[in-house]
Amino acid sequence: MVEIHHGPATVTGDEICKMPLIFIGKAQKVERSGSRETCLYLLGLLNLLGGMRRYFIVGGGLMKLHEFVGKSILRTYGIPVPKSFFVREGETVEKKILPCVLKSQVLVGSRMKNGGVLFANTDKEFDLHLRTLLERKIRGETPYGVLVEEKISVKHEHYISLVLDRDEKDLVLIYSCDGGVNVESSQNFIKAKFDDVLNEIDPNMANIATTLKRIALEKDVTLLEINPLGESESGEFVALDAVFHLDDSALYRQPWAKKFLKKNPHSFHYLKLDGDIGVIGCGAGIVMATMDTVEHFGGKPADFLDLGGGASEATTLAALKTLKNDGIRKIVMNIFGGITKCDETAKAIVNFKRENPDYDLYVRITGTNEEEAKRILKENHISFYDDMYSVIKDAVVGDVR
Amino acid sequence: MGKYGTFHAIRMKKYGTNIVCGVSKGRHDKYENIPILNSVEEAVSKYNADTSIVFVPAIYAKGAILESIDAGIEKIIVITEHIPQYDMLYLCHVARKKGARIIGPNCPGLILPGVSKIGIMPEGAFVPGNIAVISKSGTLMYEVSNYLSLYSTGIKVAIGLGGDPISGTSIAEAFDWLIDNKVAKVRIIGELGGNEEIEGIKHALNMGYSGEIKVFLAGRMAPKGKRMGHAGAIVRGYIGSVDYKENELRKLGVAVAKTIPELI
Repeated sequence: MVEIHHGPATVTGDEICKMPLIFIGKAQKVERSGSRETCLYLLGLLNLLGGMRRYFIVGGGLMKLHEFVGKSILRTYGIPVPKSFFVREGETVEKKILPCVLKSQVLVGSRMKNGGVLFANTDKEFDLHLRTLLERKIRGETPYGVLVEEKISVKHEHYISLVLDRDEKDLVLIYSCDGGVNVESSQNFIKAKFDDVLNEIDPNMANIATTLKRIALEKDVTLLEINPLGESESGEFVALDAVFHLDDSALYRQPWAKKFLKKNPHSFHYLKLDGDIGVIGCGAGIVMATMDTVEHFGGKPADFLDLGGGASEATTLAALKTLKNDGIRKIVMNIFGGITKCDETAKAIVNFKRENPDYDLYVRITGTNEEEAKRILKENHISFYDDMYSVIKDAVVGDVR
Repeated sequence: MGKYGTFHAIRMKKYGTNIVCGVSKGRHDKYENIPILNSVEEAVSKYNADTSIVFVPAIYAKGAILESIDAGIEKIIVITEHIPQYDMLYLCHVARKKGARIIGPNCPGLILPGVSKIGIMPEGAFVPGNIAVISKSGTLMYEVSNYLSLYSTGIKVAIGLGGDPISGTSIAEAFDWLIDNKVAKVRIIGELGGNEEIEGIKHALNMGYSGEIKVFLAGRMAPKGKRMGHAGAIVRGYIGSVDYKENELRKLGVAVAKTIPELI
């Protein structure tokens, strides 16, 4: 599919670190401060915005994998990782590793700063820390288990990651010699299409990169980040962390990953937020636009809820009940039905209102089977709007109803 | 030509689209006057088909799309969602080599109001006119087109590019068609994440496009500050955000609507 160029590296890792920030790729020019932000953005591909979008959009979703899963994949492909074992709640430990690092297996970031990584030198410390981490929630997340690893000292820490980049529409390789906690403030890194970067890094690093690419393609991994990639005195590499994102559209052909899938309890996409105006829509774009409009009029959306296309009466009713159960007292429903049949939506609304007559529902219905939907609502004395801005404005700025 | 495909084929045909046939493995019959053939190659040789619309489930989509490309189909509109990203990466590469254009996946298709509809959009939202709508979101495409149909000068063409990360046609590439067809008014519907809107408009301006461009971006309110992975800590959520895109577009002299009515 793409050609891989192998050849002598033109620059070594050390030399790259001394260079000012360089972009290699389409632009082919040296950029300074402005481009740093763009480069940081690329590292920030992991940030919420990208993640949120993927979370919301049906299709093109991502599934985060735990560090221990990622490391076991690295190991099977020949990339060294620290000696380790994995412990879940209720399991007994056969043989301890001392000294060691105990790492909570959670998917949130900033584990270290939030008490998710502890060191043990003695038996006593080990027992105590293991128990602590098995029970400790990290930023609200209950750990899947604890990864216990031998403590390793390295001479140098690198950063390397591979991303299936939407803007390049290709695999992008990012490398920095300033790996570890300080990568964020580094001025020195390379980012470009995979093949373009391969020539510019040390051949040993290039070998690792090539293996990462194989993993990405064979395992449907759309993001693979090793930070830090440790280098020992003797020049051997070891992956000290591993962040893997799996393309969840490919789960059907990656059955090994299915056991880690957190089942969505709903048949719609739901994310609770702070705010008091509930939002339900059919389609991620219209839901986001509805939330934006709530804020535009001075309100705060309580949630993101995308019914998707063609939601049934039952699904729609379940969505309304979910918001009610989460304490949301005012809901805007913005339905522009293409595949979605508006009369199904209307039936769900009637049902919900019958059980919850005091509920503030602000409904906009347009599209397929609109006439029938409106007939059903009128019959049940439920008002509706034709236009999204009026319905949201009234919900937020609010008249007395 | 499963249940979904047949339902929409009938609607498209009623709208005026020149549906010549359907393709479904193992079938050789008719559905309501639409011949059903066994392969795309047959469709091309028998009926000179040059465009295909794909509804097959995601796990078979790669094969179906490759079949279309191999048979010489020029435009392939992919409605299917949940196609693996690496499949799309491969398909885009092959399409580029063979000179085929993929639109989508996970898109509602495209419509020339009053002329032809290759997609699943609700026809009522699209009154014939002179404005082009290019959108990554399906439902927002309906919403904006509806507004422009009710309160502005109607729709010349609406193209749903789809919301998947690896997509056959970008905003920049869609602009090429608009430039070729001298469309004077364009509305772009984008969202947070990526830089496709900025790149697309830069491309249009570089190509000398002088029409009226207005942009609407969804996801303005995305909560910032959450991190994923180590490097995620770097960005405070600005780059890729709607605020960032709005500023960049303003620098290019392009109007960004804060609300849909402003697109009129």
